[in-house]
Amino acid sequence: MAKEIKPPRIRISRRIKKDKVIKVKVKFNHPSFTGLAMADDTSEPVFNRVRPVTFIRNMLVYYGEDLVSRLRIASGIADNPLFVFKLKATKEADIKVVFIDNFGKKWEASKKVKFKG
Amino acid sequence: MKFFIRTCVSCFFFAVFVSSSIMAETLEEEFKIEGIISLASIKALQSELPKKLDLKIIDLDLKKTNSGWPVLRVQYNSDLITKDKIEAVIGEIEDPAGHFYKVHNGPLVANAELSEEEIQVMSVMGDVVGFSEVKNPTIDFETSVKRGEESFKKNCAKCHGLNGNGYGVVAHGFTTWPKQLWVWNGADSGADGYLFWILENGKSDMPPWGLVMSEEERWDLINYIKTIKKPEGI
Repeated sequence: MAKEIKPPRIRISRRIKKDKVIKVKVKFNHPSFTGLAMADDTSEPVFNRVRPVTFIRNMLVYYGEDLVSRLRIASGIADNPLFVFKLKATKEADIKVVFIDNFGKKWEASKKVKFKG
Repeated sequence: MKFFIRTCVSCFFFAVFVSSSIMAETLEEEFKIEGIISLASIKALQSELPKKLDLKIIDLDLKKTNSGWPVLRVQYNSDLITKDKIEAVIGEIEDPAGHFYKVHNGPLVANAELSEEEIQVMSVMGDVVGFSEVKNPTIDFETSVKRGEESFKKNCAKCHGLNGNGYGVVAHGFTTWPKQLWVWNGADSGADGYLFWILENGKSDMPPWGLVMSEEERWDLINYIKTIKKPEGI
């Protein structure tokens, strides 16, 4: 039986000042497979389908209520990808990241941005 | 009298035997197989399956397949084995790499319908921004369509097929089948901006042709695509 896919994890700095640009790291352990393999590479290359394709289709990033980014992803993505992006910390609010895979399954995680100093 | 009864009984059993042997049909069935990753996988399946079930493997073909999945063709006696039993036994056989085979019954490519959230997000940013404002600047459509046809054969037919059926020579290698282009046949000017956007930015496995083609070349292609008709008999 396939392992259950756990929700993504978000890491941000603990010392955030207002209007500073912060780095957001998102780790999501999700398998990715094009579904294809080269079955016969001896005589003539033959690609065939090995198992159903699996990949993350969309990544949505919300900051508070606002949608700040959407990544459209295809089957070429790595297994268990790590996304790093920069964000201007304009308000104390949740950063929410939503992943949707090609089967329509959805995972999400959020982290609160708090100002210090 | 005894002789007569014996003859009748033997005739009865003979008839039952003959009818049962006629009823026992030899069937041929095709199975799409998941999990064939190498030549060793093919050999393993071909040798293991007849050991476990009384059937004959006719073919396990990687090349003559319309769906991209390797097709296993077997011949079996329907009295002794059922299709479900064969599927179950295939699922029990282990590949040399350590995983199990499976009969593929699902859709060709699993790509679920977009969720409400995704559609809402795409309307805010991404796929459909501002396409309706783009207008087709072509004046001489006839020349443009001719140029578009040349460009289509050179750049698009490998994936979309020469007649736009989506079964180009390299289409098997994609996660989603290329679009059947005759859906745009006779589309009104409202579709122009959308097609232009897709050509420019790419979609699914299609690369962004905006990086390679000039605007004029893209409009030529769009004009040609809108003339592609669905061939008869498809």
